[in-house]
Amino acid sequence: MIVLLVLLSLLPVLAAFALSRRRRFTVIVGMGLFSLILSAVYLLLHAPDVAVTEVAINAALITFIYIIAIRKTGKLVVVSDEIPGLLYREGQQISGLEKEILSGFARQLGLELVIRFLPVEQVPTALQQGEADIGAGGIISEIDDNTVLKTQGYLPTALYHLSKQTKPHPKQEQSTVTGFFSDLREEFQAGKISACTLDLARFVALSRSDLSPYTVRRLDGLFSYVFLVAPAQEQLHHQFVSYLSELEESGELDKLTRRYFS
Amino acid sequence: MRHRRIGLSIYAIILVCCFCGLVIALFSYQEPTGQLGAIYLSRAPSETGAANIVTAIYLNYRLYDTLFEILIFSVAVLGVRFYLSDYREKEIVEKIPESQIVRTSADLFFPPIFLIGIYLTLSGHLSPGGGFSGGVVAGTALLLCAVALGANTVGKRFYEPTLRWLEWGVLLVVLSLPLLPIVVGRLPFTGLLPPGTMGKVISGGSIPIYNLLIGIKVFIGTWVIIHYFMRHRGEV
Repeated sequence: MIVLLVLLSLLPVLAAFALSRRRRFTVIVGMGLFSLILSAVYLLLHAPDVAVTEVAINAALITFIYIIAIRKTGKLVVVSDEIPGLLYREGQQISGLEKEILSGFARQLGLELVIRFLPVEQVPTALQQGEADIGAGGIISEIDDNTVLKTQGYLPTALYHLSKQTKPHPKQEQSTVTGFFSDLREEFQAGKISACTLDLARFVALSRSDLSPYTVRRLDGLFSYVFLVAPAQEQLHHQFVSYLSELEESGELDKLTRRYFS
Repeated sequence: MRHRRIGLSIYAIILVCCFCGLVIALFSYQEPTGQLGAIYLSRAPSETGAANIVTAIYLNYRLYDTLFEILIFSVAVLGVRFYLSDYREKEIVEKIPESQIVRTSADLFFPPIFLIGIYLTLSGHLSPGGGFSGGVVAGTALLLCAVALGANTVGKRFYEPTLRWLEWGVLLVVLSLPLLPIVVGRLPFTGLLPPGTMGKVISGGSIPIYNLLIGIKVFIGTWVIIHYFMRHRGEV
C-alpha cells in the first residue's frame, strides 16, 4: 500500500518534470520513466496484463519512435561566413564567440548545431528560403533588411573605412563586403581592393597583414553585432532574444567575450 | 488581451471545479454490486477454459471489441506508412557508428527478447500477456537488431518480399475467423474449439489461435512502424 502511494505520488512529479524540461530528449526520457512507474502501479493494482502492455508499448516502443521523430527536427541550422574571433574553423573544429553562444542556445533547446558556411550576402536569402534558422558571422546592427528577423546587439563594434586615396571618397563609403571573407583577405593582400568598409572583427583580422597603403577612418555612430533569424521562425527569434539577454545578465557573455577578444 | 486572460482564468476555474467534482464523485461512488464480474469469474473457467480471465473476456466474451482494436492498430500502421511516404527516403543511409557494446548486446539480447515475445503471445490464455504485448515485445527485439545492424540490413531480410502480404492476410483471417462458426451452423463470435481443461497448454478454445494471429499482426505492424520511421526520418 505504501509502495503504491509512493509510486502514485511520483506520477504527477514525473509528469511535471517532463512538461517543464526544455530539452526534448529529457522530455522523452521523463515520459518513458512515467510509463515505467505507471506500469508498476498497474502491477500493484493486480492488472499484470495491462502492465506488460504498458511497458512494451509506452516505455520501449513509443520512447524509441519519439527519439527518431526528434532526430530530424532536432537540428539548428546556422549559416555564416567565417570570421576570425567570431566563428572560424580551427583544424577539424569550429570555434569563436558566436559559436559558443549558438552552441549554448542549441544545447538549451536540445537541438544539434549545424553550421554551414556561406558568403555574407547570401545569408539573408538562405534564411528567407527556410534553408537555415539563424544567420551569423559578424552581422552589423545597421543592416537594413526587413525581410529577416534581427536579435538585439550582443557585442558593440565599430566600422572602419579603408581606402587607398588620401581623401575619403563619399560615394565609396557604402561599399560593403561581399563574398567569403577568406577571399577578401587574399584580395587585400594582393592589393586589389581600393576601398572597403569593415567591422571590427574583420578589420582586426586584416590588420595582421600590411595595411600601410590604406588610410583608415573610423565611422561615426554606435554599431553592434547581431544575429539574424529566419522570418518564419518567430518563436525561435523570441527564444533567442531572451537567451541572449539571459546570457548578458548573468555575465556569461562578458566572460566569453574576454576569452576571444582579450 | 485582457479579456482573453479573464476568459482563460474562468475556463481554468471551471476545469479545476470539474476535476474536484470528479474526484469527490470517485470517492463517494458506490461500488457496483459486482454481479457481472461475479458471473464472469464463475462462468469463464468452464465456458472458455482460459486460466487468465482477462484474456477470456477480451478474446471470447468481448471478441467484438478486440477485432475493432486490431482494426485501429492496422489503420495506425497504414497512417504511418501513408504520411511517411511523403518524406523522400534518405539517399545516403548514414553509417551506424560501429559500437561494440550495441552489437554485442543485440547479439546477446535478441534471442531471449524474441522468445519472450513468442512466449507472451502463446501463453496469453494461461498467464498475463497475449498477442498485443507479445507482438510488440518481439517487434522491439527486431528494433534492437535494427539499431545494431542498420534498418536497411534488417529490412532486407525481414520486410520486403513477404511481410506485406502476410500482414494483410493475417488481418483478413483474424476478421473472418469469428464468422467461421456460421459454416458449422452456429452463431458467429462463438467458440469453435472445445474449451479443454483449464491450465493446460492446449486449452481455452480458439483463444490461442486468436492470440497467435494478433501476435503476428502486431509484430509485423510494429516492425513496419519502426522501419518506416528509420528509413524516412533517418537512422538512430
